[in-house]
Amino acid sequence: MIKLIEKIEGEAKLNFNFKDNKIDFVDIEFMSTRNIENILKGKSAFDALVINPRVCGICGHAHLIATVEALESCYDNLQISNKAKSLRELTLNFELIQNHFKWFYLTMMPLFGHKQEVLKATYPSQLMGKAIALFGGQYPHTSYAVVGGVVCDITEMDIIKLQHYIEQTVKFVEDNLIKMESESFSTCKSVDNILKYEGDLPDILRQIKKEELLAYGKSYGRFISFGENSYFKKGKSLKTRVNNNIFIEHAKESETATSFAKNVSYKDKYYEVGPLARAMVNKNKLILDAHRKYGDSIFSRILARVSEISQLLKHSKKLIQKLDLNEPSYIEPCIDIKQFSSSGYSAVEAARGTLIHKVELENGFIKNYEIITPTQWNLSGGTREKQGVSQKAMIGLYDIKMAELVFKTFDVCSVCTTH
Amino acid sequence: MENKALFEKLSSRLDELSNLPKLDDEKSISRLIEEKGFSRREFMGWAGAMTSMLMLPASFTPLVAKAAEMADRLPLVWLHMAECTGCSESLLRTATPSIDSLIFDYISLEYHETIMSAAGWQAEHNLESAMERYKGKYILMVEGGIPHGESDFYLTIGAHGKTGEKIAREASENAAAIFAIGTCSSFGGVQAAYPNPTNATALSNITNKSVINVPGCPPSESNIVGTLLHFILYGTLPALDAYNRPKWAYGLRIHDACERRGRFDAGEFVEQFGDDGAKNGYCLYKVGCKGPYTFNNCSKQRFNQGTSWPVQAGHGCMGCSEPDFWDKMGIVHEPLGNRLYHTVFGGLGSDATADKIGVGILTVTAVGIAAHAAISLIKKPKE
Repeated sequence: MIKLIEKIEGEAKLNFNFKDNKIDFVDIEFMSTRNIENILKGKSAFDALVINPRVCGICGHAHLIATVEALESCYDNLQISNKAKSLRELTLNFELIQNHFKWFYLTMMPLFGHKQEVLKATYPSQLMGKAIALFGGQYPHTSYAVVGGVVCDITEMDIIKLQHYIEQTVKFVEDNLIKMESESFSTCKSVDNILKYEGDLPDILRQIKKEELLAYGKSYGRFISFGENSYFKKGKSLKTRVNNNIFIEHAKESETATSFAKNVSYKDKYYEVGPLARAMVNKNKLILDAHRKYGDSIFSRILARVSEISQLLKHSKKLIQKLDLNEPSYIEPCIDIKQFSSSGYSAVEAARGTLIHKVELENGFIKNYEIITPTQWNLSGGTREKQGVSQKAMIGLYDIKMAELVFKTFDVCSVCTTH
Repeated sequence: MENKALFEKLSSRLDELSNLPKLDDEKSISRLIEEKGFSRREFMGWAGAMTSMLMLPASFTPLVAKAAEMADRLPLVWLHMAECTGCSESLLRTATPSIDSLIFDYISLEYHETIMSAAGWQAEHNLESAMERYKGKYILMVEGGIPHGESDFYLTIGAHGKTGEKIAREASENAAAIFAIGTCSSFGGVQAAYPNPTNATALSNITNKSVINVPGCPPSESNIVGTLLHFILYGTLPALDAYNRPKWAYGLRIHDACERRGRFDAGEFVEQFGDDGAKNGYCLYKVGCKGPYTFNNCSKQRFNQGTSWPVQAGHGCMGCSEPDFWDKMGIVHEPLGNRLYHTVFGGLGSDATADKIGVGILTVTAVGIAAHAAISLIKKPKE
């Protein structure tokens, strides 16, 4: 049976195969592409800074940061000020946060039979959008990060505004998402504790328990996360065993016959990326507790994504405190990019997981550009023998509606995926 | 007198609209706005801002307010073609739960792939039935370029696997008005950049109906909402420029109302990101600002509820509301004036050409820029 899954910022076609009334195998197809990688070829290196955010209007900022870091990795001894690094990290955090709100309120809540509350999604995401715009000029599609730093020269006044946006967002979390102090939520270690509170998140989590959906959505329990910054760690995790020694060269793309999206694997194995993977690699106590009790189920996936909001808000506040506005925003690279041929790569954590950019330059022009998006990791369409992460998570379910729920807990995005 | 006639014309248009059935008899936009905690005063304040944006006199504010309240008489169909959803994102980020977003959320219920509740077969059915039920009455907004010709299978949508081109063409057939939202549907967009592997094209190339282009990558939320309000008020197409963009929004260059314009006029330029000029808000032309060549109202409307815009942040305009800006606006961090043109004078940059030869073979703007660029220092040579 073929089912279209929409509202994933585009759509995907899932072809369900049943055996004994249970889902036996699922084919995943993406039916559109724009061929951005081909468009990048032959263009001037810096043009990628404008084109790549347009790969995705949802995670455009992650693409900008990935692009600028990939280009910067082509240089030896390039200097970036701490201020520029922190500003980039802050804006990326804000993008993650606003994404999580929209996913929870626009996509998840209706799937649990709740009313779609558009305003609950848009209010905090607008706040975070404004926070990005303070530095970046607009959101979506900023271009404020350039090779050598950022172009904005922020003042104390901007910082005050920014703190206001963050406080308003924290207040929204405390009034709606979970009615406890956001700070305590970000450090809470026990799932049972979370379940005692009021709010939209505990409501959904309790509903999962009550409707006995706790075993749904389990996959391999294999997680990977490449994006490193002052909050996220790089590594892979097999259940709870974490190994921080991983290499981007082992992340490989392969074409599939039926879909415009390519599969991605690490050392020939499919891994889950995203907030759950990040939390497992970061050894977040709350998520470890959820994982111990309910595995990599929809319960853990939802909790990991939503709890990341409070964690990132808290971490962003710390970053702001450490900002030194006297540092330069931009340090000019010692070599003009037009003068060299080199290659480089970057990995950043986007809302949906690890985003990798690889670039090859020839006399300042792009010879080759490869983009690996988070949804490609999670939605790799494997074979019956070797299934992708989300394919595996849907096996054994009785009902397509439930499969759709499981599928969407990965917060898939077809816009990016079919670049 | 002219205003009076216009006022009367718009009033009678709104009276006509008010006779049309509402999408939902139980609800109204004014009640919705009130329920969400906005006072009448706030609503009128918003309408006043919209009035000035649409370049109408302040006395028209009550009319604009009424037009907003009439928005639920006009069903809206919003299609996604080959795009990045950035335009929808821009819209979803309208003011803090703002009146525009409320109106949009309320009226766009008919069909919007990203924010509607329906999915799959149901969504396709919704689209078909909306097109049938509101034949000739609905407003069509299309986001995204349209893969065209031999390769229209680069985009298929819906359970029947229809191509994007077919859906867009069908939806255009019986729409009361068609708006191409964003640079992709207006001009083909990023996917149409050289070598345009999917053969993406503008909406206006696949239908023979009039398409109003609202370009920008993304367009600001106020341009999207303003376009809708304009249609409700006038019931006719707005005055358009050569690229079918409404003149009220795209009539001036970015450069004309830029906050750094005074710096340009004084010959004060940022020579390199991070220099003293950058810190002091000098003109960004020499680090690649395309504001002098770009028609849009970003400098006045700004983005994210007026928070900022690219030039304010120090980056300079990309020219994203111009056709094929990817290919025609040159390298992003270099002034367009440095671009080498194949002219009878050889491959001189446009600024150099104007400097050396002193004839206006380019546009008046380019000559002006050249003159100002010449006043300031030559770009610092790199090692």
